[in-house]
Amino acid sequence: MSKNNELVDDLVAKLKRRQLVGSSAVAHATLKLLIVVISKNNWSTCNQLLNVVKSVGQRLVQANPTELAVGNIVRRVLHVIREEFREAESSASTNKNQSEFHAAPLTTSSSMYNLLGETNSIPDDNVQYPSSLRSNIIQEIREIKDELENIYDSIKNQASLQIHSNEIIMTIGRSKTVEEFLKMAAVKRKFQVLVAESAPSYSGQDMAVELSKAGIETTVIPDSAVFAVMSRVNKVILGTHAVLANGGLVAISGTHMMAAAAKHHSIPVVVCTGLYKLSPLYPYDEDSFNVTFNPDSVLGFEEGDLIDKVTVTNPYYDYVSPDFVNLFITNQGGHPPSYLYRLIVENYDPNDHTFDL
Amino acid sequence: MSKDFDVVSNYKSLLLNSPELSMPVAAIQSLVELIKHSNATTMSEFMLSINVASQMLKSSVRNSISLSAGCDLFLRFVTRNSQDVAEFEAWKATLIVRGQSFVEKADACRYKIAELGKAAENHKRFKVFVTESSQTHGGIRSAKVLRAAGIPTTIILDAAVGYVIDKVDMVLVGAEGVVENGGLINQIGSYQMAIVAKAANKPFYAVAESYKFVRLFPLNQYDLPTYNADTLSFQELNVDYDSKTNESGSVSSSAAPSSALSQTALHMKTSEDQASQGSNPLVDYTPPNYITLLFTDLGVLTPSGVSDELIKLYL
Repeated sequence: MSKNNELVDDLVAKLKRRQLVGSSAVAHATLKLLIVVISKNNWSTCNQLLNVVKSVGQRLVQANPTELAVGNIVRRVLHVIREEFREAESSASTNKNQSEFHAAPLTTSSSMYNLLGETNSIPDDNVQYPSSLRSNIIQEIREIKDELENIYDSIKNQASLQIHSNEIIMTIGRSKTVEEFLKMAAVKRKFQVLVAESAPSYSGQDMAVELSKAGIETTVIPDSAVFAVMSRVNKVILGTHAVLANGGLVAISGTHMMAAAAKHHSIPVVVCTGLYKLSPLYPYDEDSFNVTFNPDSVLGFEEGDLIDKVTVTNPYYDYVSPDFVNLFITNQGGHPPSYLYRLIVENYDPNDHTFDL
Repeated sequence: MSKDFDVVSNYKSLLLNSPELSMPVAAIQSLVELIKHSNATTMSEFMLSINVASQMLKSSVRNSISLSAGCDLFLRFVTRNSQDVAEFEAWKATLIVRGQSFVEKADACRYKIAELGKAAENHKRFKVFVTESSQTHGGIRSAKVLRAAGIPTTIILDAAVGYVIDKVDMVLVGAEGVVENGGLINQIGSYQMAIVAKAANKPFYAVAESYKFVRLFPLNQYDLPTYNADTLSFQELNVDYDSKTNESGSVSSSAAPSSALSQTALHMKTSEDQASQGSNPLVDYTPPNYITLLFTDLGVLTPSGVSDELIKLYL
């Protein structure tokens, strides 16, 4: 148990100090930790295991609340655990007639059907579980790990469907997912890409370098030129830091402007994202998930006189409302923002939205 | 048949005794009472009696959308349970027990939703503007309750929503019913408020218990079951002279020519008179694209998530 705590403390420290940033890296680290926690801990009932995972999850989320991928992975794991226990229970009690009738797969435990008061949403603690349960759970979690590792493949395979020849694509900043997506499309299609550089991080410039290495005709434009050029763009393809439950995005600064310009010109906006970025949380106000960075890159500290007289903020993320997004391309296919509630219901359990023990 | 048990009067007395009880829950409770008093001996007789009682309840109330939702849900509940009937009397007994727990769960829905908010309890500082709701004076009642809870509340005119909207951060309404596409049926004036909120870019939230999800798909305002030929009908002109005005007018008619105008002044029927005669609607329909989120006991839903929940129930 103490060894577990060391590992948890280690990850918590890394998250707090922002040594580990970015949804993908964070997701991988969290999953690795959870696999260790589940295999090394002693548990015999569902609730025990859920509590173990939830307590770890709580600590990790508190370490860095804006890295939503942490919470998402923990919720995925909790969902898997509940599913496995439910299956184990139903196979243990197939002799009862009731379970046969109610075999219609109910994806959540709190659907309206439960209002009619027949199924148990909390797994019973007194059932005898098959010994393979532990290994089944670990197996399922490893499948999530595989899914995470192959995430770029499943997304980029949809590339040639989305991009056609002689199109002008616009994107902003550096996103590995979008990069892979465009590189895959470039194998079969010839198109141009405009990359907005996204000041003050200028990550767009790195993106342009990578794309041109792959032989794609790329142009870097300043953020201020986005609206001006938008009328000649065919599609906007964006990456994102996180996707919220209403279909809104938490994406790099400048994305909201690009999406609004696209809407104005009626240009389709496509977001490429892995499902580990999909969070069941809602943005009740615009800046709930935002972080600010060093303002030095906006107004240098050398400008001594000015510093006292102005307030300089450097928000790293933008919130983009779901009205601006037309399509999400995920590793589970392409979906409109209105469909996300379904993906959330299928991958997460409503009891896990907050990690209350 | 259970002719001696009057389901409508039972329903009405339930509502009188507990004013906090919502209409659909009271309806479901009356139906459970009906089962207790039922003399039916066969399945089909039983189902028929419940259907008849349900119809009677629906037609007894003028604004019956949430009531319909509750009744339909209960009927669905009974149908679902009728699959495994071994022995009729025993099954009836189980049904009564399950029905009671259903009523309790339905009643608890409201408190589950309240858990989502609990703003005043958590000492969050906020203020509320409530519209007057001049027909039903609901706004004034709400203001009393909110002020008692220590929340600063201001009552505004129904017509002042557009004026006030820039001062607010969000709009929150209740619901009579939530329809299949995620749209909202609520007290008249809600649609207007939703349009104003959208124009001013403010989020519009609706709070509804899950038993209010109803299997309707209105295509426009006049597609609701509460709409009838009388609604918004034009009354005959020149019919509504107030007799008093006539008398006073005729007395001074010889005095001055301008009073001739007062004599012929049309005494317009006030909207209150119109409403009491049923020609002004009580509810309106808000399409889903105006609604940001729905807070229900099943969790926070986007309007598109509602139809999914309905399908799961009626599978």
